[in-house]
Amino acid sequence: MKRRFNYTGRQRIKRERISLSLIRENESITSFILNRLELDGLTLPEDARVYVEAYYRTELKRFDCGTVNDLKIPLTGDLRELAYLQNLKFRILVTDPANGKILAHADRFSPEAPAEKKSILPVEFKDLGNEVWRVDYEGEGGAPILCINSRIPNVQNIAKTDSQFFIHVYPAVLREILTHMVFVEGVDSVSDPEADWHADWLKFSRDLGVNPPDSLDTGNDNFNKYAAAEWINNVVEASCNQYTDRFQEYIHKLEEVQ
Amino acid sequence: MIPLRIMLFEGEGEFRNYINRIRDNPFTPRPDLDNPPYSQEFSPRVMVDELHTFQSKMEMAEYLDRTFTQSGVRREDVIGKDGLWTWLAYLWFDRLAPVNPKTGKRDVKGLERYIYNPGFRRYYRHYVRTPYEIYSLYKDNSSVRILLYSPVYKHNDFIEQVASRQFIISHPNLIEALFILYFDRASGRPKRGAQSRRRAGNIHRFVKVIQQFELTYDIYSLSAQEIIDLLPEEFAAWK
Repeated sequence: MKRRFNYTGRQRIKRERISLSLIRENESITSFILNRLELDGLTLPEDARVYVEAYYRTELKRFDCGTVNDLKIPLTGDLRELAYLQNLKFRILVTDPANGKILAHADRFSPEAPAEKKSILPVEFKDLGNEVWRVDYEGEGGAPILCINSRIPNVQNIAKTDSQFFIHVYPAVLREILTHMVFVEGVDSVSDPEADWHADWLKFSRDLGVNPPDSLDTGNDNFNKYAAAEWINNVVEASCNQYTDRFQEYIHKLEEVQ
Repeated sequence: MIPLRIMLFEGEGEFRNYINRIRDNPFTPRPDLDNPPYSQEFSPRVMVDELHTFQSKMEMAEYLDRTFTQSGVRREDVIGKDGLWTWLAYLWFDRLAPVNPKTGKRDVKGLERYIYNPGFRRYYRHYVRTPYEIYSLYKDNSSVRILLYSPVYKHNDFIEQVASRQFIISHPNLIEALFILYFDRASGRPKRGAQSRRRAGNIHRFVKVIQQFELTYDIYSLSAQEIIDLLPEEFAAWK
């Protein structure tokens, strides 16, 4: 297992201790709400300051969340002046007011999706000419972004609800991402990968009940390309099995046409 | 003056072809992409001066910010419009890729300098969007000159090193610290050697040290001077 050193003594606030979601008005993101922040069990002075930061690329906005013993929760924050609302990341910092040092942090976390599930695949609708979809590896740290052609009429609705689109596009997207992750980038560790997005997709696989092989690092002696390819197939299959209703809907539509 | 437009997929393709051709032949005629299907007019209507010349990135960014503001257009209305930045680069391409008088050839850089690429490895490289993005964030902070002093056709080391790093570019106190350390107010340019990797405490080292501080200090709450005071001895000559 890869080891990481923490010379600064900062404590890590795990994601499960935080509940933060975005608030939308007319489909547009306007603010966030921090409903829960559990700091118990961490060794922190009562007067340590707590901040929430929303950021992406050039933008950063900080919100004061009070002190450890007097947290202002729920905390809402207005995000309307930020230009990049779709891919916002958040961090929480607990700082020592005496010397400005960071005592604890949670960094680079995404807000919860409305269904309390974290989306690991941001979607962008843009002009792709004659392509229906494409995966760009241009997110944070080279993370995948699914780009769908905005020229297709009503495409945002189609991408969410159309069974034909669903069963044709998403399995192919999943296969493309995992193939890229393993065979183009290489995963340095299946238990604790350096890239956050690798960790997200490995967790996705495990949540489907499909464990990765011992190594997904093409430079490792234990790497077996056939085992890696089989793992990818198994993940895609398990993912498709979660959406049998979509498949049945697609079949019904075809039968109706006939 | 002509109405501001947004470059579309077909326009981007034609612009790319033009850029590739002009590398070899500086007299390649510029295609007319100011109509559908190549581009569409931005709404609300904003008039831009196609003949405007700019002495620096700062001037270009000021011009755009002023023009947008006068038309009631906010930063967040334009920053995510990828094709708008590509069209502006097309509009001012003569300024962004001037003919080198010595060689007679156009000084044409990578496509991402002119055709906006939103990817995280390239988004900060655009010659029009990045200066505007930085200026519109920090227009009340004169320190921004350290990033925008150079000609419109060239990114300096400061903009390359800083704009690509989310943590640094999003902290105004770090931009101010850079300005205090490295900017020569008399010449309106960085101090000599600030960008040289051979000089102690150069901009590259500043970035490295701040990346370490980022893990330890709540940089946001520090003043520019407090950040400078934290810097190690190698920066003494710049303080």
